[in-house]
Amino acid sequence: MMNYIASILVGAWSLVKGLRVTIGNMCRRAVTVQYPRQKLEMEERYRGLVDLRREDCIMCLQCAKTCPTGCLSITVKTGEDKKRVLETFTYNMEYCCFCGFCEQVCPKSAIRMSKIYEVTAYDRNRLKIDLLKEGKYDEWANPPTE
Amino acid sequence: MATLLDLIIMLVVGGIILGFIAGSAMFVIWLERKVSAHIQSRLGPMRVGWHGWLQSVADAIKLLLKEDIRPKGVDTWVWWAAPFFATVPSVMAFICIPFGKPFEIRGLQIPVIAPDGLRIPMIVSDLNVGILYILSVTSVCVLGIFMAGWGSNNKYSLLGGFRSGAQIVSYEVPLVLSVITVVMYVGSLSMQTIVEAQGDWYGLKWFVLRPNLALAFIVYLIAATAETNRTPFDIPEAESELVAGFHTEYSGMKFAMFFVAEYTNVFIVSAVAATLFLGGWQGPPIFQFILGYDLPFMPVFWFLLKVYFVIFLLMWFRWTFPRVRVDQLTGFAWKVLTPVSFANLAFTGWWLLR
Amino acid sequence: MITDETAVADAKSFETEEFFVNMGPQHPSTHGVLYLELKMDGEVVVECRMHLGYLHRSIEKIAENRTYTQFIPFTDRLDYLASMNNNLAYVLTVEKLLGTEVPERAQYIRVIMAELNRVASHLIAIGTFAQDLGAFGTPLLYCFRERERIVDIFDEVCGNRLTYNYIRVGGVQDDLTPGMDRKIKDLIQYLRPKIEDLDALLTRNAIFLARTRGIGILPKEMAVNYGVTGPNLRGSGVRWDLRKDEPYLVYDKFQFDIPAARNGDAWDRYRVRMEEMRQSLRIVEQAIEGLPEGQAAVKGKRAVLKPPAGEAYVRTENPRGELGFYIVSDGTTMPYRTKIRAPSFSNLAVIPEIAKGLKIADLVCVLGSFDMVMGEVDR
Repeated sequence: MMNYIASILVGAWSLVKGLRVTIGNMCRRAVTVQYPRQKLEMEERYRGLVDLRREDCIMCLQCAKTCPTGCLSITVKTGEDKKRVLETFTYNMEYCCFCGFCEQVCPKSAIRMSKIYEVTAYDRNRLKIDLLKEGKYDEWANPPTE
Repeated sequence: MATLLDLIIMLVVGGIILGFIAGSAMFVIWLERKVSAHIQSRLGPMRVGWHGWLQSVADAIKLLLKEDIRPKGVDTWVWWAAPFFATVPSVMAFICIPFGKPFEIRGLQIPVIAPDGLRIPMIVSDLNVGILYILSVTSVCVLGIFMAGWGSNNKYSLLGGFRSGAQIVSYEVPLVLSVITVVMYVGSLSMQTIVEAQGDWYGLKWFVLRPNLALAFIVYLIAATAETNRTPFDIPEAESELVAGFHTEYSGMKFAMFFVAEYTNVFIVSAVAATLFLGGWQGPPIFQFILGYDLPFMPVFWFLLKVYFVIFLLMWFRWTFPRVRVDQLTGFAWKVLTPVSFANLAFTGWWLLR
Repeated sequence: MITDETAVADAKSFETEEFFVNMGPQHPSTHGVLYLELKMDGEVVVECRMHLGYLHRSIEKIAENRTYTQFIPFTDRLDYLASMNNNLAYVLTVEKLLGTEVPERAQYIRVIMAELNRVASHLIAIGTFAQDLGAFGTPLLYCFRERERIVDIFDEVCGNRLTYNYIRVGGVQDDLTPGMDRKIKDLIQYLRPKIEDLDALLTRNAIFLARTRGIGILPKEMAVNYGVTGPNLRGSGVRWDLRKDEPYLVYDKFQFDIPAARNGDAWDRYRVRMEEMRQSLRIVEQAIEGLPEGQAAVKGKRAVLKPPAGEAYVRTENPRGELGFYIVSDGTTMPYRTKIRAPSFSNLAVIPEIAKGLKIADLVCVLGSFDMVMGEVDR
């Protein structure tokens, strides 16, 4: 009989302890961010989409070789003055696993990971990006806030 | 003896209360979302109106515009009538809820109808079996759930309906016993009498402050959570068990009726708790000190404050506790709550006869 | 009038049949795509058959066509909730094949990251466990809130929030940013009271106890025979933890306890995880205090790894159990065979045995308490 009453009281007190935790949380500030209207700043080392600075690239092709998924396709042309020129540099975003190997292996830090993470497309072909084009990330660098 | 005046007042107050029910259900739904959000460290609806207070309106419009799907093989009459059997009894129970102190407008004398001044009871009809009427009418909601479970041609809905029926029936006993404990102190079943028996505004005579009635209050709250199918007793609506329970096959406005029925039930049980234990519409007459007389809607304000406080308690329980298993649920009702409330009743009886 | 004959006839006509229920691949309570075919008698499970393979991505085959360094992002995606630990196990195996020495600072950083990831993984385990029991979101969201703080540290140090690709052969990717040890100390101070809050909310809660005590008991012999490891094994009473029994990295320099429970029910497994979180924070604290100076990063080392022909098997303590990598090398830049011994795969094997006699609500509870990640079961 005493066990029965004791178990009821212990059970009730455990429930009250749980209630205290919840009410404490209710009285504190929320930790969420109203996403499209407010956005968080990414860290310095954040691995977003890959970006290329053409003038620094020495066409060593290390990034393409090191990529685990093979998302970078590079073709190099030898011009008339025997100088090598970068012809195409395609980045297939579908295969990219955001590992950062290309950034680490580049001797001139020409290829870097930007801070763009909001990427959507209606068409698969839009996800194959030509990194040599100006304004390649314009539509994604400033996403709408509504 | 009902006069024409009484009839007109009943109809007018009834109409106001119907409007109040619709608005209140929407408000309680918004409050639930906000309370749950703040407990979980997030913000809840923020877009539609200031802090999202129009979100319920947006949801209601969405539900109105949804397609009304009729599954194949349902038992038509039963399936169609189930939402009404769930909603209408809750609305009927509003007849006896005392919203405020009956007040008189002495100076106003309408020739035929009210020759002696207008007396407005702030309750649709103060039946002298008030609390008994409320309890019996809200029990009819079980029928609605059974009908929904049977009428949908779905064995999981049927299971959900059965479980819900078993749950509501087993928790009726502690609910009624704790109400009887209060009625023993008052000596009358009429709601306005129960409120007036809790003394004046300084709150020292509220029933919740007596220890045995405080225990009855706790038992009543637990039984009320089970009656309205809320966590920790929300087996019929459990989502991580097999399917969504008895209202799976309803869409659009029929689902909205179940939804509104649930929140109306929540309001009813909270209003009964506020009336029986927390002193009903009694509250400090603030304006007495400023203006010399108390404004007529101050008791209504205190009443609503208490009701929403109890609703907040129910929401607090919902967002803190995990769910109880079905056999443990009925075990808890019969093995813990019923003996406790019987013991409380016996003790109260002995105390009053002493 | 009811006679004996009619009573017997009534009992015979009241036959019940067993019916099959698919707790199909997509279900809110099986963590990931796990397909359970249940044979039920009323509400009780009579037999349970498991079908795996819905998340198979041929990771072991892919390993045969990638170099050793290129495979590290793939190991992230095995047990995606504990990426650092997966990286660690793989990299330790490759280092054993190569025989490389790892600088001490890198070892300390590896321990810190692995233990923080253990806390993050256990937070999700506990949060989803409570969610399955019906505590509609509140414990889950609290756990995710604490996990976000931990993941912010990872974000700062390596740049990703879920698949870190941080631990490399010979060290780590980048050293800690300046001021990070202050942040980690603050994080530990922040997490300790929050874990106590979770404890108060769940552990002794009467409803939680009623739902988890005595449910899904895993006997000690069965656990050892089936190869169950990790908190599931320790919940059944076997105090076996690779960090103490076969120490790797610098775990032998730290003082910490291994929690174990006696009964082997769902409540015990949950409590083992809670206590492990506290012990992990103790390890991180000691590691941050004793962090030596030196070189930790492997940036700038671009040689492609070519280990000599041979084989190596290294096992580490993942949050879910013993994760082992068995690599056979044939002397070229790509391994000949990589076999992954996933802890959740062996843990799952016990479930058809335990599920007999449980109700569906209890089966959901048991699945939650076993904490499986289908990514590593199906690889």
